[in-house]
Amino acid sequence: MATEHAQSIALDSSTDSKVEGHFKRNRFVYGFGALVIAIGATLRIYLDTMGFSVGTDFYSDEFQVYWMPVLYGELILLGSFTVILSTYLWLTRETDASTISKELELTRYWKMLSIFSVMAIWGGLIGANAIESDAAWHQVTIRDTDFTPTHIIIFYFALPALTAMLVPAFIWVHTRVPAYMNKISIPFLAVVCGILMIMPNYGFNEWGHTFFYAEELFAAPIHYGFVFLGWSLFFLIPLAMQIISHMARLISETTAEGYQAS
Amino acid sequence: MSETQTAEITEVEAKARLLDLKSLDNPKAMKLYRRFDGIIILVLFLFIVLGIQIHFTLTAGDWDYWIDWRDRRWWPLVAPFSLLLFIAPFQYGLWARVRLPVAGTAVTLLLCLVSWVSRYFNFYEFTHFPMSFVFPSTYIALGILLDCALVVTRSLLVSSVIGGGLFGALVYPLNWAFMAPYKVPVELNGMLMSVADLMGYQYVRTTTPEYLRIIEESTLRTFGGSVTPLTAVFSGLCGMVIYMIFLWVGSRVNAMEKFTKRIV
Repeated sequence: MATEHAQSIALDSSTDSKVEGHFKRNRFVYGFGALVIAIGATLRIYLDTMGFSVGTDFYSDEFQVYWMPVLYGELILLGSFTVILSTYLWLTRETDASTISKELELTRYWKMLSIFSVMAIWGGLIGANAIESDAAWHQVTIRDTDFTPTHIIIFYFALPALTAMLVPAFIWVHTRVPAYMNKISIPFLAVVCGILMIMPNYGFNEWGHTFFYAEELFAAPIHYGFVFLGWSLFFLIPLAMQIISHMARLISETTAEGYQAS
Repeated sequence: MSETQTAEITEVEAKARLLDLKSLDNPKAMKLYRRFDGIIILVLFLFIVLGIQIHFTLTAGDWDYWIDWRDRRWWPLVAPFSLLLFIAPFQYGLWARVRLPVAGTAVTLLLCLVSWVSRYFNFYEFTHFPMSFVFPSTYIALGILLDCALVVTRSLLVSSVIGGGLFGALVYPLNWAFMAPYKVPVELNGMLMSVADLMGYQYVRTTTPEYLRIIEESTLRTFGGSVTPLTAVFSGLCGMVIYMIFLWVGSRVNAMEKFTKRIV
């Protein structure tokens, strides 16, 4: 079902706005940015309200009513979002990069930055709101259980949601942007794999805490897997350099005096 | 590839580079350059917020959460070690590729901002610890020193000796103004302790029992003495070494700005 279409854009006012990324009217960033902030705020309010009142014991009836459906809902939502969107993007991929005009290519780079902006907003929210909530939680609860409200939000939604955005973004970029088509960007792959692999590392963390480390010292070696995988964000600099070099070239070409739109 | 083809590619590349240079005089192009610079900086900074929170929380977080953990032996050693490790790869990339000596300042500033937000919402609002017990330390001046060393020397190697050393050595004096009131000695039930210790005993942390409070270990538990300067010097040495090692890691990471063949 892979499609092959050439989309030429005349250099009229609408083209100008596309080449310029129309950031002021970028509905994607504002719409999805507002959506992820709303989701983050809702989960945070739910955690504050229901975390201690009905969330301290996984074996209680209240926990099964108020927290487990949240967990199941998160897993179904994120799983289906990632699979459906990734499949759709792959099946509708472009097959011929030569049919993509420079204006369209530049427009797609702006879209790529829009996608990264939304992911960055979500990443900032995780950093500011989610990670240390687990640290604080463990210091006031008497007993750790199989599932906890902070883990249900951080482990099973916040970080997987970042992966759920990164994987389709990776596919979109590698099937729509000519410089990335028919090859794989190593720094982009490293970022995606690093964040993705944090989830399997939950297994070691939980297993370790039930086996040999009952306490919750955050700087303990049992958590170093998360640290090491978080280092995948080091690859953002080479990825940014890739994007900058390609975009700078496209901007200089499409804004040059006497440039004829394709 | 024949010599003619190589020459053609070089010619095409030369034309493109000339176009790049000309675009610097083109207001329309400059407007777009500034726009995407702004977006990329925003995106990078927000991801750095996530990265430094994961990294710092899980390597030195405990010493930064609680005022009674900020001792003279471990905290001035662990905190700069952790921070320099994270700063170095970003510093290498930003300096080597775009000559921006800002990674130290950016990371420490972002850590400070995100830590205050996080402590307020998580430790104060969520679990009701007093802010006076859980406020974050500051490392911003250390980041500025690190970047200044790079600006002045223009050498990653020399700046790792000067900047890395200062970064490690000055953690304690930089934070002393905030911490001094908590180091006042008090006597309770015949026991001598600091105000910070007393707060630690009062606010029981259920999964970090007293035997896990990694502070002031060994035989130098006094209210004076030379533990602090000794730790500072050793921390300076660790700062130099870890900064150099992770600058090298940064150079390896940045060498991977490549594509590989698609497998599907």
